[in-house]
Amino acid sequence: MNIIKHITTLVSAGRHPVSGEPRHCHNDSLAMTIGLDMAKSISAKHHVLHAGNPDNKALSEYLALGAGQIDVIPISDDTDVVDCLATQLNHADLILTGSRAESGEDSSLLPYLLAEKIGIPLVVNALAIKVKANTIEVLQFLPKGKRRHVTVKLPAIIAIHPLAPASLKFSYARQISGAIKTLLVPYTSTSTSVHKTQWQTLASIRKPIKLKAPENKSGHDRMMSAISSESKGGAVVNNGNSVEKAQVILGYLREHRLINF
Amino acid sequence: MSTSKAKRINPNRILNTTQNGIKRITLSAPEVAENIPEVKPLRTPTKPKNFYLTVTHADRGMLDDHAHQVIASAAILADKETTVVALVLGELREDIASLGADKVIVMPEFDYQVFQPDAELACVLKVIDSLQPSRIFMPDNMIGDGELGRRLIATQPSKSAATHVIEIDAKHVASYQAGGSLLAFADLPEIILLAANTAETNLPFVASAIPDEQLKSTSYTFKESNSDYKNLGMLPVASATIALEEADFIVSAGNGVSNVATLETLARSLDAAIGASRVAVDDGKFPRDKQIGASGKTVSASAYLAIGISGAVQHLQGIKDCRHVIAINRDNSAPIVKRADLTVIGDAEEIMQSLILAIAEAKQATSNQTMSNPVN
Repeated sequence: MNIIKHITTLVSAGRHPVSGEPRHCHNDSLAMTIGLDMAKSISAKHHVLHAGNPDNKALSEYLALGAGQIDVIPISDDTDVVDCLATQLNHADLILTGSRAESGEDSSLLPYLLAEKIGIPLVVNALAIKVKANTIEVLQFLPKGKRRHVTVKLPAIIAIHPLAPASLKFSYARQISGAIKTLLVPYTSTSTSVHKTQWQTLASIRKPIKLKAPENKSGHDRMMSAISSESKGGAVVNNGNSVEKAQVILGYLREHRLINF
Repeated sequence: MSTSKAKRINPNRILNTTQNGIKRITLSAPEVAENIPEVKPLRTPTKPKNFYLTVTHADRGMLDDHAHQVIASAAILADKETTVVALVLGELREDIASLGADKVIVMPEFDYQVFQPDAELACVLKVIDSLQPSRIFMPDNMIGDGELGRRLIATQPSKSAATHVIEIDAKHVASYQAGGSLLAFADLPEIILLAANTAETNLPFVASAIPDEQLKSTSYTFKESNSDYKNLGMLPVASATIALEEADFIVSAGNGVSNVATLETLARSLDAAIGASRVAVDDGKFPRDKQIGASGKTVSASAYLAIGISGAVQHLQGIKDCRHVIAINRDNSAPIVKRADLTVIGDAEEIMQSLILAIAEAKQATSNQTMSNPVN
């Protein structure tokens, strides 16, 4: 018997990186496509949930990508989105999201705060998901071409990695046939920013300044460090035949655990 | 053209320090600079009133540059009464005193390749509980620290936090928001997830880096048997199929490699990806997408084996993020020698052949060992 009856994908309003126009968030669209495919294969019900302005142009793009219907919690910018979403998601068996938003604070914290609020496990950086009995098997992304398999108990939140292999299919027919349904606001929470961090934004982008330790060197020391180049260079092996030299390389690789034999 | 008989004197003659500590240029003396190692002052406070905690994952006993920057930034921001405690998850075999860590707690059971977020979080919470650090610094990376940091932020709603921090100083942090269109500033929060390259690791002081066994034993956590997560292990991925930018081990060929087949055999036996310098690609020995350097790809492998590559600036630019560079070259004055951590001078073909044999023997020996001790 299948225990997943409801899959909910959380989508956010994206932003075109150059023009700044509202559009679908690519990462959330990947999550939605994976959710739709899974719902189809295990015949579960798929919901798409958004918290924000129901008139946002970005939402119609999710309809074009196959959402069918989008439920929108109409909230203003200063409402705590986690509280609103948490009350809507109490009955979901599986919640999918992207990894990082393209608007707002985009701190990538939402899945974590939501998992903590609802009290269910969370797996991030998912590339692919598979249903196994009462668990979900997730293929996780790790850097350096590494991939990891983990399982997580249901209900759970899975955050999809931006490199997840899902192909988005845009259809105008679906865009005009889909519906955006505005939900009633559960309550108005007054808490503002996540975790009390008060951000002040600056519209002009400049290069970040690196943190450096203050140095009180003498002028002579500063000149010396400026004119003398650091000839770093490691060990140089000149002697021995090729077999011995190969052993030196092998020894180095072993010493730094770059090989496991 | 007449040649002058006058002896040419190096205008940049090296100073020799006399026994009295006076620096002199002695024309008759041989040009050897005495390498006096620079003694940096110790920063570690004796009576700490305050703690800064850094939490980082180690990979194969080493912390990466990103983790180094996080520990260094905590040490730079720490005042005279603040002790920097470095919590290292995973085995650690390098000395982090030069990065300003006053105390070190190593938890070898939390290797980054094993997925155990609840046990790691419990361990960090125990350390926080016993230390009560005023600030926590973590790298915002993909090897588990970014994830662990966010789980920590979610469990600590009373603490202020900032993620994706691209700029930090004593007063404030900054990060890009709204898809990178805004630069946002906030006061220095309690939990800071630093992006890469936000701090210099070259410090004018050292710290004691004492292992704290007491804290280690109190923060030991048993693995929960009823965990919601289960680690099923890593998916074996052949290095040859990975994009060069993502590869962890690269065998790279230059003009000194005459036989490409030998190089391919070597790469296969090391399970490494193949790269090439511009000359080798221009010669048609390798496809263009294998080119590493300024006009090719920039790689960040843990191990980079440069065979027959002299190391032009453009090539070195492409390998600047590589951790261990090993060079095989015939010319011991080639620029790659200055960059490489180990240089072997000799004929590339001969050394490659010997290396292939040595690797085969080593693999055979390892498999024999595991056959005789099946428990391990």
